[in-house]
Amino acid sequence: MSDQGYFGQYGGSFIPEILYSSQQQLLKHYREAMADPSFIADVKREMQQYSGRPTPLTHCPNLSAQLGGAQIYLKREDLNHSGAHKMNNVIGQGLLTKRMGKKRVIAETGAGQHGVATALISARLGLECTIYMGAHDIARQYPNVFWMKQLGATVIPVTTGSQTLKDALDEALRDWTSSFEDTHYLIGTSCGCEPFPEMVAGFQSVIGEEVKEQAMAQFGAMPDKIYACVGGGSNACGIFLPFVGTSTELIGVEAGGRGDGVGEHAKRFNTDQAKFGISQGYATMFLQDDQGQLAPTHSISAGLDYVGVSPILADLSDRGLVRMTSALDTEVIAAFKQLMLGEGIIAAMESSHAIAGGLREAASLDPSQNIVINISGRGDKDIFTIASALEDQPFKDFLRSYLEGQD
Amino acid sequence: MNTLAKFIKEQRQTKPILLMTHVIYGYPSIDESLQMMKTLLEKGASILEVQFPFSDPVADGPVITNACHQALQSQPKLQQCLKDISALGAAFPNSKVLLMSYLNPLLQYGFKQLAEDMSPHVGGVIIPDLPIDHHKMLEPLLQAAVDPIWLIIPGMDKERIELVCEHARGLLYCVSRKGVTGQGVASQSAHQQLQQYLGEINQHTAVPLALGFGIASAADVREITGLVDVAVVGSALLRAHQSAGLSGFSQKADELLSATN
Repeated sequence: MSDQGYFGQYGGSFIPEILYSSQQQLLKHYREAMADPSFIADVKREMQQYSGRPTPLTHCPNLSAQLGGAQIYLKREDLNHSGAHKMNNVIGQGLLTKRMGKKRVIAETGAGQHGVATALISARLGLECTIYMGAHDIARQYPNVFWMKQLGATVIPVTTGSQTLKDALDEALRDWTSSFEDTHYLIGTSCGCEPFPEMVAGFQSVIGEEVKEQAMAQFGAMPDKIYACVGGGSNACGIFLPFVGTSTELIGVEAGGRGDGVGEHAKRFNTDQAKFGISQGYATMFLQDDQGQLAPTHSISAGLDYVGVSPILADLSDRGLVRMTSALDTEVIAAFKQLMLGEGIIAAMESSHAIAGGLREAASLDPSQNIVINISGRGDKDIFTIASALEDQPFKDFLRSYLEGQD
Repeated sequence: MNTLAKFIKEQRQTKPILLMTHVIYGYPSIDESLQMMKTLLEKGASILEVQFPFSDPVADGPVITNACHQALQSQPKLQQCLKDISALGAAFPNSKVLLMSYLNPLLQYGFKQLAEDMSPHVGGVIIPDLPIDHHKMLEPLLQAAVDPIWLIIPGMDKERIELVCEHARGLLYCVSRKGVTGQGVASQSAHQQLQQYLGEINQHTAVPLALGFGIASAADVREITGLVDVAVVGSALLRAHQSAGLSGFSQKADELLSATN
């Protein structure tokens, strides 16, 4: 990474002046913490003893045989405490918050996974916690909201703009503007101003580091290809970064949504609807219109429904070090079912994009090759979305009778 | 001395303080927003700040944020906005029209093009999400005599104030300390704090100072008279419009302007 948080032409710091001193303070503490072996040891201990790391690398013998191509392995971030890779980042930033002497964290959340992870770590570390979540996302991910509240967090619905992740991020920034003296903005993805992209990607890189060791132990080689879904990009950065510049090909899978029309997808690559832009504190490829207004997005998974993308990934893509592709909502549902029935693993809708991307290409590879798909989160949180996509009538009947039973 | 600073100093010969008023282009409609701008200029508002709406206005509070989202429904175009407000600037040579927007819409338009289309009737631009560290991005504006208007924040360290002052032109927008304006600036200690804050800035620059955030009434304007050259009215006029339409807006403008004579 270059000076001042730039990754090629992306990244940087474009924040209102009022946040400048807070950002400088964060930068200083972050650099000091990362150079302090006792802080690194604390992070490692919490990752192991609280979140359950290392997460396994699971071979998929049935799917591999069915497709007749590469050996398929899954990196099981779904087995983290909280059920997603988000835990890696909140452990790091939660401990940093304590180190800075701040008493409160705020966070934005899309699907709610980062919100739940933030609420969990806040309860463990004794931090006050406020979560900003788009009203539209609250409507489709209420179970996560329920847990955040039970964990003692304040959940604030964001009703401005498109009422999704980008608006929640705007609102969290506004909160930080007036609260930075005692509050850390615990951003959930590798986006935003310096040092957030680097810091989040750094805490997530434990994923890729483990894959390196596990690949050698389990199949005696580095993976030929690694697939990860890309929303903001934190799980992709986490599994990719330790492999950048090696012979392993890195493939990001974006949300293809319902199609290529404006507002039907959340692809920031391979579309002329996304252009270089600067907003939300940093420069990256943003979906936007001809007036520079950020565009609406859609994905079956709330976690990929974001208008920008990690500046780290935008730069890696420009340099040809990461290949970006996408999967449609329908392909995602099919891949989700294929993995569930083939191997007995329920993946999150977000992660099912990576599965769709991986399965699509696995068949054309040689059985001596190995691919790793990052299962960033588990799918039981998506039960409502999935039951609806699968048009499962008994589930609807259950909900109706459950509500009647409550009266 | 450049035109905006010169204009402010000249106006200050006869007025104890100038008013900088704010209107969002396109809210509640493009026509009505232009009507509001015209009303303010006809009444003699010295400086008019026109906000070109952006989808993600992170430095604005809820009133302006919601109004910006509503303004976007009519799909305003920056090119047309600049034409419209340039025409106003030309029609009212005794006032100055400024543009305010976020970085991305201006970046997409291109700063060279922006400089051409702002000059000569839109004299300055405020970009709240562009920190001083990126001042080089605005060089095309300087060449066209359009002033970038930088912000000063309470608690900024001396070195950074010096950095901003080094690049200050036309006007410096000083954000008042939280809870100072609108809630008893008259109190001795708040007034002293404000004096100290502005005094520190004045040590480093001769550029006129504007003070903003929370100025909502004639009384607020009077309280800071003598401390700065310009009082910035943000959402107060917008709120007046929301509660009582154009007549409420007009009344609020009269009230605020009464404090500038």
